[in-house]
Amino acid sequence: MSRYFREWSVAGALLALLVVLAVFARDFYQGQPLLSLATSETPTLVVAIGMALVIICREIDISVGSLFSVCAVCAGLLATAHVPLALALLGSVVTGAILGAFNGVLVAGLRLPSIVVTLATMVTWREGLNWWRQGEFVYLPNGLQWFGLSQVGGQWTLVAAALLLLVLFAVALRRIAAGRFLYAVGTDAEAARLAGIRPQAVKFWAFVLMGAFTGLAAVMNLVQSPQIDPKSGTGLELKVIAAVVVGGVAINGGRGNLWGAFSGVLLLACISPALVHLHIEAYWEKAIQGAIILLAVVADGVRARRARH
Amino acid sequence: MSSGVAHSHATGWRAALFRHETVLFLVLVGEWLYFNAVGVNFSTLDNTYDILRHSVEIGLLALAMTPVILTGGIDLSVGSLLGLCAILFGKLWRDAHFTPLEAGACTVVIGALAGGLNAALITELRLPPLIVTLGTYSLYRGLAEAITRGADTFTNFPSSFLFLGQGRWLGMPAQAPVFLLALAGIWVLVHRTTFGRSFRAIGYSPEGARYAGIPVERRIALTYILTGLVSGVAAILYTARLGQARADAGTGYELYAITAVVLGGTSIFGGVGSVHGTLFGIAAIAVLDNGLVHAFMPREAAGVLTGVLLLIALTGSVAPKLWRRRQPKAPPLKSP
Repeated sequence: MSRYFREWSVAGALLALLVVLAVFARDFYQGQPLLSLATSETPTLVVAIGMALVIICREIDISVGSLFSVCAVCAGLLATAHVPLALALLGSVVTGAILGAFNGVLVAGLRLPSIVVTLATMVTWREGLNWWRQGEFVYLPNGLQWFGLSQVGGQWTLVAAALLLLVLFAVALRRIAAGRFLYAVGTDAEAARLAGIRPQAVKFWAFVLMGAFTGLAAVMNLVQSPQIDPKSGTGLELKVIAAVVVGGVAINGGRGNLWGAFSGVLLLACISPALVHLHIEAYWEKAIQGAIILLAVVADGVRARRARH
Repeated sequence: MSSGVAHSHATGWRAALFRHETVLFLVLVGEWLYFNAVGVNFSTLDNTYDILRHSVEIGLLALAMTPVILTGGIDLSVGSLLGLCAILFGKLWRDAHFTPLEAGACTVVIGALAGGLNAALITELRLPPLIVTLGTYSLYRGLAEAITRGADTFTNFPSSFLFLGQGRWLGMPAQAPVFLLALAGIWVLVHRTTFGRSFRAIGYSPEGARYAGIPVERRIALTYILTGLVSGVAAILYTARLGQARADAGTGYELYAITAVVLGGTSIFGGVGSVHGTLFGIAAIAVLDNGLVHAFMPREAAGVLTGVLLLIALTGSVAPKLWRRRQPKAPPLKSP
């Protein structure tokens, strides 16, 4: 219980919110809107999985928003060239992985601080994309939306795919050696090295995975709408980092799991519809989001302080 | 390692030439010469003032960010705080009928208090600055949006106030003296006082600084209060320059400010860096931004080049270390 206190308390907060909604706003629990909400959050969840991996090994990636936009535009252009969706998906994932590998080389190879490296690549890719596309939307061909399935079918496919990925990586992180390496490197890279792990390789692959997940998320976003906004990824990095940190993944590395990150994503995702259903003005969303982040870290800090004294 | 230090002392001018600030300064001169040759109306006094006017707010944020990063911290909330302060300034002036001077004074105090919230969470609870300021980044922007309900803007400020952002004083842009004052103040603080030197000591080794008798928490707290205060000042200048205060004022400024500081040679891990480096960093970005427009290049090119410049600066800063790692260990010199 105490070991997973953070994860349980986030899940508890989420549960409390759901109970409040059940009492005061029954409208929230309608099948279709709820499914739409879940679907629209699947890209965030997929990126959050990657971000959790990166943060667990004590790095950070703030370029994911730009990566997301670049991948979305690439996949969209492939799709408009009438490439099969599977190939467009592959193209997007590979683009993401390559851009992630670029971050990885700079961080792991040259040992540069990841926050500055990804700050630089974030600006570079974002502005490069604007230069290339001039803010132009990509209009997708018909039949691509929801994989050509019915809307409900497509939505269930996306939700199922995201959950599958979550379960897969949550288990892998706990059960597979490569997963434990991330924790080892995040806790103490030097000790990990002495134990025979190559910390720089672990970090490199974390960034590659992060990029690949971002590419996947971009396609999951693409099939939900008839066009692609080249600014679709703006601000995604902070949203995802916030969700992961609220979910109990320590920014100093080595601690946290994907179930917590999942609760964090759900909690932050529920705020905006909850505000609507509780008749609170939507302008408060960002402030409440910030307050939740602060509350989560303050709770951590108070616990740590009590442990010190 | 010690031989390396001795070596760099022996050839001081060479070390000075390869110092980060010097290289950056040369890049800046190169930029200037290039745009002078290519651009139209680039190297005129008017345009120089234009560059200055447009970079004052980000410049102020970057100057205040320098001590924060020197101590090994970071402040992501400055852009959002600028937005919140701009809104509160407008609110105080329009709805509470304060004079611009009174409203300005209150705004600066509010900025300092907001910085104090960051400081309290970081130093009292020992929370990572990255996450605390990420939280307040969201909180301050959210409050600005909530106060204006996302739509309200403040305009029609008196011309005596707009003079601060649009007028000229002794020939130069009216906000230039504020910037120069802040530059001088922060430079003296960081480079000429024992108080300011402690920032670098803390960034180099917080434990070491504590053993040396430096009140580490209080000094760190002060750096965040300073960024908050300066965000308030920047908000006033921003409002005066554009003639309106909106909830989205200063969006993304935190990243420009951090870019300028890091480009200026301050290590993101703390302990190393200088205020004049930050000044060159700001100038390099501002000149690039403005020069490309005068050279009829798209504005996005400036963003791309800023990112690339930052990557080159970073790679350059570790290149000697990598080079040394590659070199086979030299056999020890035979003593005569």
